[in-house]
This record gives sequence, structure tokens and C-alpha cells, in this order.
Amino acid sequence: MSILIDILLAILGVYLAMQSLLASRLSQSVFLFFAFGLALALAWVRLGAVDVAITEAAIAAGFLGVLFLDALRDFSPRDTEEQQNLTTVQNSLSRKESKSLLLPRLALVLGLGLFLLIALEAVWKIPEGGGLTAAAETLLPESGVEHPVTAVLLNFRAYDTWLEIGVILLGLLAVFAVGGIQIYRKPIAAADDPLMRQVILFFTPVLFLFGAFLLYIGKSGPGGAFQAGVLWGAIGILLHFGGIPVYSWVPRWLGHLLLTLGLVFFLLLGFLFMAAGDNLFEYPPAYAGLLILIVETLAAISIAAALTAIFANLNQMKKEQPNDTAQK
Amino acid sequence: MEIYQIYSLTSAILFVIGLGGVFAARHFIKKIIATIIMGGGVFLCFVSFAQRDALTFADPVPHALVITGIVVAVASAAFALALARRIYQLTGEESFTNDK
Repeated sequence: MSILIDILLAILGVYLAMQSLLASRLSQSVFLFFAFGLALALAWVRLGAVDVAITEAAIAAGFLGVLFLDALRDFSPRDTEEQQNLTTVQNSLSRKESKSLLLPRLALVLGLGLFLLIALEAVWKIPEGGGLTAAAETLLPESGVEHPVTAVLLNFRAYDTWLEIGVILLGLLAVFAVGGIQIYRKPIAAADDPLMRQVILFFTPVLFLFGAFLLYIGKSGPGGAFQAGVLWGAIGILLHFGGIPVYSWVPRWLGHLLLTLGLVFFLLLGFLFMAAGDNLFEYPPAYAGLLILIVETLAAISIAAALTAIFANLNQMKKEQPNDTAQK
Repeated sequence: MEIYQIYSLTSAILFVIGLGGVFAARHFIKKIIATIIMGGGVFLCFVSFAQRDALTFADPVPHALVITGIVVAVASAAFALALARRIYQLTGEESFTNDK
């Protein structure tokens, strides 16, 4: 009976993915992508990966969905009729040529799909009980936390997690670089909306508290730095919408400090115990729980700051447009 | 049929849909969405086999890898989105011109 739910969920996921790519309007596409992310989050729950489900729902569906929605303001059709005519002519011209290309591409994709299915069927035959579950289970008491996923993320494979925080920062720098230094330097002015202010006053404490709860509960259950970081980042995005853009409000040195805090502290801690004779990112088991909580808190702050900055910078890109077209 | 079998089959289908989308979609945003769907397929494959090898809990290493992977995918998608918007601002193009 429970298999039925999984089959339905799988069909739903595939259907939403296809529809989101086939939808004719861009806004449909983005909203179906939202729905796809949430369906995938349900699939993670069915597979017993609640941490992944929270991350998927918060970052991949929530944060990325907001970025896509924000981008729609740029791309949504408000071209003059002349331009629209031009694009339809271009499309009808290009269709003829691209049709000859489309068929081999589709054949390639379907062939690869068949190959993948055969490969999966082969993987099913590998005897069960492999993997690192047993190793993680025996080492769990030494990690300082009770939840295996948090233990892997912040103790056993802390190096990966450190690099991951670095990747978010790198993504932010890349967004800055693409947006141009003018956008970065310019004080951000967001719309002022009295209704939004009340919503913010209501939601900010709730989001903060829920983020802190997820951060702390990561020790013994699903939750942790990334989930908390996204929730705190949502506060920054809400404030931005409500006319309190955090990034022009906070002094620049403080912004930079918040962005790099998690990455730097994580690395310093790693090297500190390396100097004491252990390996990189190896914590003494007695203090491991406390150290992991501190690292997670600082990492969550940095992630929240980076996500807010990515959103603020992308949101700001649109306002440059009239100047650019005027210059041309 | 086991749960992991259903989801690992789904993962292959999602990957193929995403790949087809990357080839066939014209608009930048749809191409980015297609890459995220491809990534979702890969992650689903990881987690479905983690569920198969569960003892008292599911294999935590793929779970941690997938959490890392989702965050990295989102960071790169944000960068791609920034590039797409910049290209649109500067040229007014909504898709790659060499597709024509």
C-alpha cells in the first residue's frame, strides 16, 4: 500500500519536471519548478532523508524559486510590439534549421536514458549492506553529536562542508563580478510598503526562532547549519522587500565580517587542532559537541549573509536596465 | 518492488528529462531549470541507494553529500541567473544566438 504513494510521488515528480520545461509561459515554468522542488522534498522524506528534505524545500525550491521569480521581472514580456514581431520572425526562421538538429539530440538523450536504466538495473544486483553506514554507526559516539548526518557533515567530512561554505561565498563573488562594481557600491533602495513592514514585524522573530531551533536540534535530529542559514537568510530577503535593505544599512566592514565569519573560524579551528598534532578538522571528542555547535552557528550566520547578499545583488540588477538601454 | 527501486528509476528519468531540457529549451531560465532537474535526478539516485543500505539509520554519507550538492547547485544556479540577466541587459537576447 505504501508503495502506491511512492509510485504516485514518482509520477508527480516526473510530470512536474516535464511540464516545467514544456510550459509555454516563463512564469508557469517557474511555478511548476517550485512545485517540483516540493514534490522532490516529499520524496526525500519517503526515503528517510529528512535533512535533505528540509534543505531541498528551503534552498532549492524556496531560495532558488525566489531568485527565478525575481528574474521574471526582467524577462517577462513587456517588449514593444515591434520587438515581438522581430522575435517571432526570428523564431520561425530558426525553427526550420533547428528541427534537423533536434532529432539527433533527442535520439542521444533517449539512448542515454536507456543506458542509465540498464546501469541502474546492474547496480540493484550489488549485494546490500555496503556503504559506510556501519562505519558511521561505530564512530558516532566519538563525534560529539547524536544525529549521523550532522556527524558526517561537521565532523567526519568537515572538509567538504568547509569547502561548501566557500562555494557559497564564491557564488556571491561571481554574482558581484557579473553585476558590476557599480551595483555593489550603490546604496540599495528598495520599495517602501507599510503592509510589508507589518508582515516583517510579525515574521522576523518567528523565522529567527525557527532557525535557531533547527540549528540546535541538528545535534540530535534533522536540522543544522544550512537549514538555519536559509531561514535566517529569508529574514534578510524579507527586510529587503520591506524597504530595510540590510546591505546598505549595515556598515561594509561588518557585512564582510559576517560573510567570511563561518569560513574563517572553521578553517582556524581546523588548523588549531592540526597544530596540536591531530589531523585537519579533527576535534577532540570531549569538546566536539560544543565546537560543532559554535561552528554551525557561525556558518549559519555566514550562509544567511551570503544568501541575502546574492538576492540583494540580483534584485538590484534590474534597476540598472533603463540606463543601459538609454546608453545604447 | 522496493522503494529504492522506484526512486532510482525516477532518478534516471529525471536526469534524462533535464538533459533533454538543456538541449531543447531555448530560454536561459528554462535551461537553468533543466540543469537543476538533472541535478535532482543525480541526488535522488544517491539517496535511494542510501536507503537500500540502511542499518539502524540510512547511510548518512550520501545524505551529507546531497545536502552539500544541493547548496552548490543553488550557488551555481544563482551565478548562471546573474549571467543570464546581465546578457539580457546588455544585448536584449533571451537565448543563445548561436542556436539560430
